[in-house]
Amino acid sequence: MPDLPEHLRKPLVNLLLAAADDKLFLGHRNSEWTGLGPILEEDIAFSSLAQDDMAHAAALYELAGSIDGRSADELAFGRTPEQYRCAAIVEVPDEFDWATAIVRRFFCNHFDLLRLTRFSQSAWKPLSDLARRLVAEQQVHVRHVDDWMVRLGAGTPESHRRMQKAIDAISPLATELFEPLDELKSLVDAGLYPGSDFAMYDQWREAVAHVLGQSHLTVHFEIGSPEDRGGRRGVHTQYLGPMLDEMCEVYRLEPKAAW
Amino acid sequence: MISRQAIFDVLRTIPDPEMPISIVDLGLIESVDVSGSAVSVVALPTFVGCPALEMISRDIESRLGRLPGVASVNVRWVHDPPWSVDRISGAGRAALREHGVTVPESGSRLEVHGAAGATVPLTVGAADVPCPFCGSKKTHLDSPFGPTRCRMIYYCDACRNSFEHLKKV
Repeated sequence: MPDLPEHLRKPLVNLLLAAADDKLFLGHRNSEWTGLGPILEEDIAFSSLAQDDMAHAAALYELAGSIDGRSADELAFGRTPEQYRCAAIVEVPDEFDWATAIVRRFFCNHFDLLRLTRFSQSAWKPLSDLARRLVAEQQVHVRHVDDWMVRLGAGTPESHRRMQKAIDAISPLATELFEPLDELKSLVDAGLYPGSDFAMYDQWREAVAHVLGQSHLTVHFEIGSPEDRGGRRGVHTQYLGPMLDEMCEVYRLEPKAAW
Repeated sequence: MISRQAIFDVLRTIPDPEMPISIVDLGLIESVDVSGSAVSVVALPTFVGCPALEMISRDIESRLGRLPGVASVNVRWVHDPPWSVDRISGAGRAALREHGVTVPESGSRLEVHGAAGATVPLTVGAADVPCPFCGSKKTHLDSPFGPTRCRMIYYCDACRNSFEHLKKV
């Protein structure tokens, strides 16, 4: 499918932007730990994870841009907050609480592995080619965060208490990753995004439950988000605007600058 | 007309910016096409968005551009076929080991399973990675992240050296 049918272009760009935006802001939040990680290995790990996530975002922005003509930089930094499609879970600050940082990655990484796997089966070859590589890299992320979930959840009474507290605080945002995107069904029907969100939700629940069981941690999910929020529709938390201002400070000074 | 052999001879002298082996031994070069005085090189990135890609492109362009009879050089990065550690040559593996970097055995590439959800096998930190210094298999994964995005840190419990192991992707 070298030429995308006209009516599928906008929904596909929307889907790619949602995936890229999640990665961009998760990567940015993780990069805030550079120099502040609790141990040297994790300082390096979080910096590497941030670099991976931003690289994944850049590759997905480039693909989206190949459809609608915008550059990756324009897509990453040149939009207003309501034009972003990220979920609330990647927007909120972690207040430099290590448990919160790990738990956030845990929910997001498992979601991303499943989403990228669906991309890798897409009928649009540029996406499936890229996603095969992204899935391989994403597996390293999942393995890393799963190890920490078990290590801390099943660790000391103190580490267990702090992890459970982080889960209780973050999990209400986790299911918002599944908020439906506009016109997604047309992409599924055309084989551009095979599978279903319902099946993906079940797989995600099963994957996180498996690790939480080993970690002696519990979670109670509530499906759906508050009426007044919906990242996939561009309705964001109060944290996105200030984060964008910080990230875009240099870009806005000279948008056409070459690096 | 310039020969593909001459092109490969030059490519073999270009080192990877982050590994002590050539870009050919690392398996980055997928194909070379010569059309008159125009050379096209198709290359595969190890990791998506690896920060060294631009530098490698520039190296290829400037080095091949100096060959007599070459008027233009075009480098294109693609993801099909995907790069994997299986593409590293025998000479490349030996040179890496010499530098304290081990490479997963050929054929050990991570399989990308379908939408298998919870059953996606996660075998990144392999057991039984032999120490490049003393050969002992009493080693363990210290951190899945290292000095570059493609390398992990292992520790040898026998000779107490740390060493690097390429990610099995």
